[in-house]
This record gives sequence, C-alpha cells and structure tokens, in this order.
Amino acid sequence: MVRLITHNLLACHAKNCTQTKGFPLAFNDVRVETKEAEFNADFLKSFYERKIDWDALVGAAKQLGDTSLPLERPEMVDDDFLQLLHHVLLEIHVEEGEMICPNCKHVYKIRDGIPNMLLAEHEIG
Amino acid sequence: MSAKPVTLVSDTSSHENASQLEQEHVHDVYDHIAPHFSQTRYKPWPIVSAFLASIPSGWVGLDSGTGNGKYLPLPLDRPGESWTIGLDRSSNLLNFAKSAGGKSREVVLGDAMDCCWRSGAFDYAISIATIHHFSTPERRKWAIQALLRCLSPDHGRALIYVWATRQDELSKRSIPRASPPAHDELPYKVPRSIGKDVFVPWKLTPGAPRGDSKYHQNVNGKDEISSTASQQTRRTDFDRYYHMFDEGELRLLVKEAAADLGIGERAKANETLSGTAKSGTFLEFVQDDWERSNFYIELRLWTI
Repeated sequence: MVRLITHNLLACHAKNCTQTKGFPLAFNDVRVETKEAEFNADFLKSFYERKIDWDALVGAAKQLGDTSLPLERPEMVDDDFLQLLHHVLLEIHVEEGEMICPNCKHVYKIRDGIPNMLLAEHEIG
Repeated sequence: MSAKPVTLVSDTSSHENASQLEQEHVHDVYDHIAPHFSQTRYKPWPIVSAFLASIPSGWVGLDSGTGNGKYLPLPLDRPGESWTIGLDRSSNLLNFAKSAGGKSREVVLGDAMDCCWRSGAFDYAISIATIHHFSTPERRKWAIQALLRCLSPDHGRALIYVWATRQDELSKRSIPRASPPAHDELPYKVPRSIGKDVFVPWKLTPGAPRGDSKYHQNVNGKDEISSTASQQTRRTDFDRYYHMFDEGELRLLVKEAAADLGIGERAKANETLSGTAKSGTFLEFVQDDWERSNFYIELRLWTI
C-alpha cells in the first residue's frame, strides 16, 4: 500500500538526485481508496512529534483531494487533531498512479497498491 | 527450506555480472516460488520476535527483504504501536506481504542495496535472511550501508540475520566444512575467499501453487516476463544463490560498511564513563551470535 505514512518517508534515489532535493515525491494520476484503520494515539503522537515532515504531508494530502489538515503545523495535539492525522496518514490508500521526483522528475509507478522504487542499472547513483 | 544438499558455486567472480546472477538465481526464483514459499514461511524466528518486542511504542521501522511480510504484524500484543514498512525485490512475495496477518501493511518494491528513504527516516530496521543473497562482498556491504543510512543516527537499532557456514547439527543439509577463520590475521577489507557461495535447490511439488507471472514487474513497472522467467514457467526445480557467512565475517562487513560512512565502532556506555567524548556518529554491537545455522548481529547507532 502507499499510505501517506510511507510517502512521508520515501525519497528519490535516482542517480544525480539527492534524498533532500528529491523529497517529497508528487502524486500524479492516482486512484485512491479509503479503508478504516485502527486508531493508536501513542503511535500518532510519536510519529507527529519526531518524524513527520508537515509540509510534505499537507501537500500530499491535497494532491489526493484531502484538505482537512491545517497548513500550519499545530502546537496543540488534542484528540480531534489526532483523528484528522490518523485518517490522512493511515486510511487513504493510493492503489494506482505514480510519484514524481520534484527535482529530477523520475517517475515511480504505483500498481496494486505497491510503489515500484526499483531503478534500472544505469539510473542507480 | 528444502532438505537437499547444496551445490557449490564454483566461482562467483566468473559470473560477468553479479546482478544478472541475482536476477536469475534470487529474484526470478522468488517470484516463481512465492506462493509455495509463503506457505512455508509463517513462523517468526524467536530472536527477531524478541527484537521487535523490544522496540518502543511510536517507532517506525523498515523490514528490508520482508518476503511474505511475516514480521510486519509484530509485536502481536501491541498492534499499531510501532509500524514496520516492508521492502522486497519480489512483487509476488509483496502481494502476500501487503496483507500479512490479515491487515493492510505498507510494502515497497525495491532493492535492499538502495536507500529510497529520507536519510535517518527509521528508528529501527531488520534484515532477515536477505543480505546473503547478494553475490559479491561489495554488494553485501552496500546493502548494509543502505540499512545504516536509513536509520536514525541518534538511536537507530538494527538486526541482521544471514546464513552461516556453521550449520545446526539438526540441519538436514550437508555442507562442506569450512576451515576455521583466523580472526586476528584478517585484514580490514573483507576477503573474497571468506564464506562460501552456494546454490540451494527449491523444488515445487506437483500441485504446489506457483507465482503468477502477471505480477512479474521489471524496473519500469511493465508486465514483462523475462526470457528466463518464461522458460521457468513449467520448471519445478530452482537454484537459489546464497553466500554462506563464516564466523566473524558479518561483523567485519558491518564495521567496514560503517567505516566507509564515517561511522566508527564505539560502545555508548564506555564513552559516557571515559569522558573523552568526541563528536560524531558511532555504532555499537549489542549482540553478535550464532543461532540455528545463522549468524546475527544487533547494532545501534548513537551520536554525540
């Protein structure tokens, strides 16, 4: 599956690109499904406080048609916010489509919910 | 695993292209035997389970070479408190992994030698029975480096398992005895002669489920069936390539991989006591042991 939790960690690794410039990958031409997932407040808080790239998450959610998140990273982490975060991070599944590197424009396809991050031999840095 | 004796690969360096060898004797094989393989790989190894049980709540990790994803649901008593994302080179195996344990899992089609993640993205990583499928010392080192680069330099923890030349007495395989390694004489570069390169047969029994070639994806995501793959469609016997590690070899390889990234070996506790703190990222070996025909290493990174 490609949910936004994974998207928030993936970066381009093509030759002549860098993990810093090649992030976040941009969704294109996607088919999305929503599936309920178990809510876990502790995991969400920890991921939010320690890992998340907020701008990347808001941007990616918008590309998938979800604009529920505030543009500014909230200071207050209450239950309402965690519910929003839960839905965006863990319940939106990208089943088909592609992710494009913002820097080198390399295209990573998504098929049957699985992103293909393989590179051809000549594309490996 | 199959109980058949192994055949020694005469000389891996004679294979012009290591990736071609791995394509034929690792990737294509797993894509073909995926359903059968998955049926026989459901029981987590206890040391891996214990490692995952020790992961704090809220951490996110990578299972590099996840196969059918049997470790993705762990720990079972704290579902959803930590998240393991699975990566594998076989799309057919990932089709099992993506619903491992009956729930949606996060899986990525990728090569364990590449780091397709933000650097330091993961709090923990496991690489179980994967690195022994790379056919040169350099490629095995790159796989370890990919693991180290995607780990948090502050607190990242990893567990690596590889197949050993030292086999369990209960193992049904007959392996030629390796000469005992002389640790002190080993140069820092992992020598090419260390360990053993072998083929291990996998036999599809009549009626065993086969990998569906429609999922056989290449790097461009096209539904191409390689000539090797189509030739193997009716085959029942497959040879999987393994590099069997000698005692001490995995530790050497990890040290060398880390050193190339500017990460030295240093225990955190000693450093705190000695007070001779020097800034940088360091690697500490937490466990380095043998279990049931495998060598494993647990490590952690820390930064001052």
